[in-house]
Amino acid sequence: MNAALLGILSYLGLGVLGILFGRGRLAAVLALVAGGVTLSLWAPEFPEGFLGGPPLGIALAGDFWALGIWGLALLLHAAVLLHGWKKEGLFHAIITVLIGTCLAGGVSRDLFNLYIVLELATLLSVILVAKEGRSPAVWAALRYLLLAGVGMILYLFGLGLVYGRTGLLAVSALAHADFSIPSIRIGVGFLLVGAAVKTGVFLLGLWLPPAHGQAPTEVSALLSGLVVKLGVMTMARLAEAFPVEPIVLALGILTGFGGLIYAIWEQDLKVFLAYSTVSQLGYMLLGLGLENQEAGLFYAVAHGLFKGLLFLSAGSAIEGAGKRKISELRGGLPWPAVLGLALGAWAIAGLPPLAGFPGKYALALSSPIWAKGILLGLSLGTAASFSKLLPILQPKNGDQAGGIFLLTAAILGLGIWGIFLFPGLWRLNPWLEAVLPAGAGYGVYLVLRKVPAKIRRLPLDWAILSALLTSLFLIAVVLFA
Amino acid sequence: MEALSGLALAVALAGLGLWAMVTRRNIVWKLLGLNVASGGSILFLVALSHRPGARPAIRGLGPGPAVDPLPQALVLTAIVIHFATLALALALVIILTEHRHTQDAKRLEEEQ
Repeated sequence: MNAALLGILSYLGLGVLGILFGRGRLAAVLALVAGGVTLSLWAPEFPEGFLGGPPLGIALAGDFWALGIWGLALLLHAAVLLHGWKKEGLFHAIITVLIGTCLAGGVSRDLFNLYIVLELATLLSVILVAKEGRSPAVWAALRYLLLAGVGMILYLFGLGLVYGRTGLLAVSALAHADFSIPSIRIGVGFLLVGAAVKTGVFLLGLWLPPAHGQAPTEVSALLSGLVVKLGVMTMARLAEAFPVEPIVLALGILTGFGGLIYAIWEQDLKVFLAYSTVSQLGYMLLGLGLENQEAGLFYAVAHGLFKGLLFLSAGSAIEGAGKRKISELRGGLPWPAVLGLALGAWAIAGLPPLAGFPGKYALALSSPIWAKGILLGLSLGTAASFSKLLPILQPKNGDQAGGIFLLTAAILGLGIWGIFLFPGLWRLNPWLEAVLPAGAGYGVYLVLRKVPAKIRRLPLDWAILSALLTSLFLIAVVLFA
Repeated sequence: MEALSGLALAVALAGLGLWAMVTRRNIVWKLLGLNVASGGSILFLVALSHRPGARPAIRGLGPGPAVDPLPQALVLTAIVIHFATLALALALVIILTEHRHTQDAKRLEEEQ
């Protein structure tokens, strides 16, 4: 535990020093080294301990979620550092603090500590989204802040209800609490809603697409790759403490398909990737809902890496061409961007041998037949939505892009490691099951391309209202189910 | 009774704040709504720590049961976070007002 605390403190401390004294890049590099060293000191796990002594201390544990979040955070930080090396020092310093917050979230198993981490991550993300001062980005950041604020108020109410009844905040202690008491059930409903808003679950977290789409390139990669995983992890902790798996499962299905509908017809490249993040969250929630948390985590890490790669490549493509619309980007992209977009799309469609392939296989491995059907449907839709990137993949000139190469190596490595991890992947069936939906998805794309669709994005008032109504519905479900 | 009225007030405040967030079009009003609602959530935690006849959780205030100190400690952190949220949001509103010359949520949404 001490090693993990040391890593978190050096990240936060170096980040704050970087903000104060303006040597952000140096602070980021030092923090990255400290993070890597401390991770190697405590990996692969450390037992649960209480910071400040039991029973009131903050519960921390180095379980598989902590390991996944730490590995993902450090890899993404290295990639973002390489990609945005020429950015100003303050930017790197704020990112360092954000990564430190995510590391703290990875090990915490205490509902209130998770609240603090989520709020801190929101504030830092909002600063990073709005930092360049373009007014669409500032407006997206404000939307994000308002909706996340609503979610966190609901989370505090839930925390109060659960704590008022049980006197407990640690996840492992709450797992023994009596779930049949109505006030605890209502409280759990509130907690779940708060975490779902932060995660970007469909109809609750509609702040996500504009914020991720308008943010600067490196920030989009971090938000989609890492920060939403904190919300997923919070939901995993809640599913561990309380029997709410069926509700998480329903939320996962809704999010998966809801995000897809928007992603298929979206034309702005980065907003399209953001809607695809919403849809991909469905996979991770399905993993949690099917009580297969390891598979959910594997997919979360894989998604973090390939979505980070996609956002970094999309950023260089957009900066290279000066346009955001997918149809206008055809031809003339720098070749690292083309490589990243192609391999990212390959991985997100679940094609071997990249990281999405073992991820999707692990989710389907122990699930019932209907869940396999849902997963196939999601794969097909994902392939259909990403098929629209194919026409623009024509490389022209070169550009330095270290982060893209790092993440490419990471998704390839994770994919190959995953293939060795699951012996079932050495047969022909899973390969066919991966290739066929992707091929069918391309067919669906060819059909849907002819269908003009104008899907309205929800304005802020409606986003808040839909979040509140969905949360009332969800709380009622938790109460009476 | 005191605890119950405190809880009812907390829920009412949160409802009022969220109502303002949904119905008002001016973003400064929305922020005020958010702030009132977060005040409600803080009051909720404080009211929950109440025990009948208990003294404040300060050492040396005499014998008898004290209120639960943990929610009050949590509330301190939550207050700081809500303050930071409000300050950051107002800074963003200033930037938006300078660029777009409006604080109307609908018009901010349209002119993208």
